[in-house]
Amino acid sequence: MATAYTLPDISPTAVKNTASLVRIVALALISGAAIASRLFAVINFESIIHEFDPWFNYRATKVLASQGFYEFWNWFDPTAWYPLGRVVGGTVYPGLMATSGVIYNVLHKLNLPVDIRNICVLLAPGFSALTAWATYMFTKEMKDASAGLLAAAFIGITPGYISRSVAGSYDNEAIAIFLLMFTFFLWIKAVKLGSALYGSLAALFYFYMVAAWGGYAFITNMIPVHALTLMLMGRYSSRLYVAYCSWYAIGTLSSMQVPFVGFQPVRTSEHMGALGVFGLLQIVAFAQLARAHMSSKQFKDLLFYSVIGIGLIGAGGFVGLTYMGWIAPWTGRFYSLWDTGYAKKYIPIIASVSEHQPTAWPSFFMDLQLLIFLFPAGVILCFRELRDEHVFVIIYALVGSYFAGVMVRLMLTLTPCVCVSAAVAFSSLLDTYLDPAKPEVPVVEETAPATASKPAATATATGTSAIDDVVNAAKKSGKRGIFDLDTRLIIVFNAFCMLSFFVLHCTWVTSNAYSSPSVVLASQNQDGSQHIIDDFREAYYWLRQNTPETSVVMSWWDYGYQIAGMADRPTLVDNNTWNNTHIATVGKAMASTEEVAYPILRKHDVEYVLVIFGGLIGYSGDDINKFLWMVRISQGVWPDEIQEPNYFTPQGEYRVDDRASATMKNSLMYKMSYYRFAELFGGSKQAMDRVRNQRLPTVSPTLDYLDEAFTSENWIVRIYQVKKEDPLGRDLKSANAFTDGKKRKRSKPVSRRRAIM
Amino acid sequence: MLPLLSLLISLVTLVVARSSTGTDVLVIVSAEEQKDYTLFFEDLEGRGYDLFFREPKAEKPVLLDADVPQFHHVLMLASDTKAFASDITPQNIVELLTKNVNVVVALSPKQNLFYTLAPEFGLVPPPPGTPLISYFPERTDPPTVLPVHVAPGPIVTPNTPPVWFSGIPFSVGNSPLLVPILNAPSESFASDSDSTTESIVESVEKGGEGLWAGSSLGLVTGFQVTDGGRALFLGGGAILSDAFANKALPDGSSSGNKQIAHDVSAWAFQESLVLRIDETSHHVVNATEPKEYYTTNDQVVYTTKISRWNAKENEWEPHTGVDDLQLEFTMLDPHVRTGIPEDLARPGTYSVTFRAPDRHGVFKFIVDYRRKGWTHLKSAITVPVVPPRHDGYPRFLSAAWPYYAGAVSTSVGFVLFAALYLAGETKEAGKKKKE
Repeated sequence: MATAYTLPDISPTAVKNTASLVRIVALALISGAAIASRLFAVINFESIIHEFDPWFNYRATKVLASQGFYEFWNWFDPTAWYPLGRVVGGTVYPGLMATSGVIYNVLHKLNLPVDIRNICVLLAPGFSALTAWATYMFTKEMKDASAGLLAAAFIGITPGYISRSVAGSYDNEAIAIFLLMFTFFLWIKAVKLGSALYGSLAALFYFYMVAAWGGYAFITNMIPVHALTLMLMGRYSSRLYVAYCSWYAIGTLSSMQVPFVGFQPVRTSEHMGALGVFGLLQIVAFAQLARAHMSSKQFKDLLFYSVIGIGLIGAGGFVGLTYMGWIAPWTGRFYSLWDTGYAKKYIPIIASVSEHQPTAWPSFFMDLQLLIFLFPAGVILCFRELRDEHVFVIIYALVGSYFAGVMVRLMLTLTPCVCVSAAVAFSSLLDTYLDPAKPEVPVVEETAPATASKPAATATATGTSAIDDVVNAAKKSGKRGIFDLDTRLIIVFNAFCMLSFFVLHCTWVTSNAYSSPSVVLASQNQDGSQHIIDDFREAYYWLRQNTPETSVVMSWWDYGYQIAGMADRPTLVDNNTWNNTHIATVGKAMASTEEVAYPILRKHDVEYVLVIFGGLIGYSGDDINKFLWMVRISQGVWPDEIQEPNYFTPQGEYRVDDRASATMKNSLMYKMSYYRFAELFGGSKQAMDRVRNQRLPTVSPTLDYLDEAFTSENWIVRIYQVKKEDPLGRDLKSANAFTDGKKRKRSKPVSRRRAIM
Repeated sequence: MLPLLSLLISLVTLVVARSSTGTDVLVIVSAEEQKDYTLFFEDLEGRGYDLFFREPKAEKPVLLDADVPQFHHVLMLASDTKAFASDITPQNIVELLTKNVNVVVALSPKQNLFYTLAPEFGLVPPPPGTPLISYFPERTDPPTVLPVHVAPGPIVTPNTPPVWFSGIPFSVGNSPLLVPILNAPSESFASDSDSTTESIVESVEKGGEGLWAGSSLGLVTGFQVTDGGRALFLGGGAILSDAFANKALPDGSSSGNKQIAHDVSAWAFQESLVLRIDETSHHVVNATEPKEYYTTNDQVVYTTKISRWNAKENEWEPHTGVDDLQLEFTMLDPHVRTGIPEDLARPGTYSVTFRAPDRHGVFKFIVDYRRKGWTHLKSAITVPVVPPRHDGYPRFLSAAWPYYAGAVSTSVGFVLFAALYLAGETKEAGKKKKE
């Protein structure tokens, strides 16, 4: 057999041993790369917890590490959602904290006194290495080890996953993606082998996943869909039965041990698919058994009636139970996955989160670059063999693509699938072009057309008779065919360049876009050096140092976790948005006049109000830009008192300058944001809001019920103190007027009698 | 010598009644007017007060030094003065009151800064130059000097004879902090004394609008500042004067001026009707130490001890006999509202046992006791109420017996099945071997 290039003559065992060594070394290097590229955040900034949710996870982990698991389980946090409080143990996915707690305790048992913060910061990079390994195992089941290595490398550095797992991004997703991939790997393995052991292992990791992330519902539905598809394809086997039953029974029972999940797996619609497939499997299994013992005619009749009967009973039972309230209907969050406009209409609180918006096209390229082009190729390659596991990847690709299109944050669940598919495609490409084998050239009389060389590449794989003719003709034409070393080199070099650019792109995106802690902001000085804007921590530490520990701080819910984590003060609402009314109350206070807001503030014992204001330095994520969401959310609860159109100008513009509507100008949020802002510019017409590019009125708003307590260096965070009631029982507006020496209007005693005519 | 001294001191303390806040009184009065109040000042000094006098225009002694009050009580008797020293302003007087300084202000028909101060308390004085006038009862005195019947109230000693009054009335607003002490007689009115009849006829034609008349006008009105001192507004300083104290009533009996001067100053200087909460405690039944947090449905005991200032004994004594004290266990809204009965075994102690609501959250024990004339009592203790711990729920439920039975029967069935299956296996294997 002819070869394109000669291979060195090494014994097969040596090749095998070297290959496994290379695999191990490659995996180690991939892990290193995965961890290293996530450390930009630590190097560029510092070892700090990022963003919002991680601050809660960090705080909870500290409780877990210092007080033990049982105290954490029973932890009631009276400082969150004041005065409702939060039963943290029962409303949290404890997997992340438990993982950190275990690592912390193990390290301390080994006499390595590592700070809990550093464990939290570095947990996500550490688990990304494990994700790379799990993806390797998964892809190995799809194709082979070399595809697995490629997939591991892809998942290790692709920005779609890095965006959620840089150092400091201490969120549930940090460990969840590893668990997702590993559970899928075990499931595939279980289906392949029909092994109850692997099925149980899948259930075990499924339990871990349930304990770690609310996204476990993705597995809960992916596996049944896979099983159902296999059954519909007529691929029912005892292997599938064993794998699914062991996974479902053990997985569901164990997932119910997580307090936050509780009875959901048997009570909510999201989990009913898994239950239904479980039941269907039993029926199918029974049918298989019955067929083995019955005549064909009898079996057909039996099948016909039983399918109809069971279908009716099942559907009726489901509807009936839902109607009776035994099964919770679909939640709003679920509907918003199907109708992207749903949340905006009915649940503004979900729509107000930026990561719940539909994904923009560029972000697919930004997050996946080359992989997004290889992804469809990989999926198509899966159709070629179409083993059970390939069906899984195809379903995963379809479902994942849809969800990634609906919500930005679900890009994360798509990424592993993209990496696997792309790796399969890429490795097929390399396999084809690195394989030194050259087909024998049959002797054919015809002369080959000059254009025949192009389709030759695909022809090696598929090949119909017509193409075969052409190919054979091409081969006959001589040494300049596609099988020669030069053309192979072009393709392989091209592929190598693509990979190199992929690495460059990933590194660039990671360092520039995904490594900002968002607690600390960076800007560039004129000479290009980095300037750190640290207003958030400045303000939170001011609260921590200057206010009593019990003083309640009100802010929009985005900053609740940060205030609790950094300032250690009770908050009214936070990022665990479980109580819409409470959030709407805060929104109402922010959107109302001072007189209306003051009783609300006093009722909730609010002592400080914190607002984020970016108008001075142009920080666009500030509260005025979020203000309309506050209005919308509170309008949902108090439609008579808060109306969104009142906050726009008659022309329908959202303005903060002279032309702003009266309601807008009198709202507490507007007043707190622009209080004394014009004075900063000397009271001239120069006061410019750099976010909205509008000139402010020369006279700043006045505040009667609040006192300015603190404004950070760049005015990003402004803190106001709520005044106590007037000791003389006056309203604070007239009390202030009196203090300022303004004269009251003289009043006369009110006549108690009506005039006698 | 020493025993004699201590005896003297104890005698003195027995005799004098003291304020609960302090003894230093600043009297702002002009030198001429000072002579009119000798009896009142003697009464005050006899009760242990140290009087410091200051001319209205004098700069010293100051009311506030670096925002710290320099006296415990301030008497503003310079009612006829038009201009005051720079630190005597309505704003400063309000600030004194918020810092637990008691202030007595005497108004007069002449307009001065107190005319801008009084409206802040919900008291509106009539236009300047319109004193209170009454032609009843018939008497020889001018109509601006009138005897006023003293209505019974918590502040003034019961059965005080009518008192002489001269000055202005003011309309009393509806602030709950106001404590009416002496109201105008119903047939009296405020008017320019020269053109009395015409103005009255005029306002009567308007249906009484703008007519400063009737018994709803105040002459002596107190004001209990929230978390602060007490303010006392007098329609005229003359009610405290020597002349009125010695002046006989139209029927010849002696007036009650001396008594009312004593009573209202005792109230204003926080000698009488002063309460405080000594201590509050809470714990679950059958425990003594307070818990950091309570579990839902705990039986909670709340105890509070209330004392009253006894000016005569110069000490705080247990305050008994309150039968309308209330406790609210509040999270946004009161979840529990219950009366706190007196613990008869321990005088001045009020205690109640109640069941914590079946609702977790941050609750507050709130006692908010406000009665006219008395010091307001307010106490709020924050305490979280948490759900039961994971091992705090009942372990075995009778309702769950079907499930227990199901679990046990399944287990037993599985064991039996496994045993039978394993036993049957060997036979079958044997059979197969035979074949």
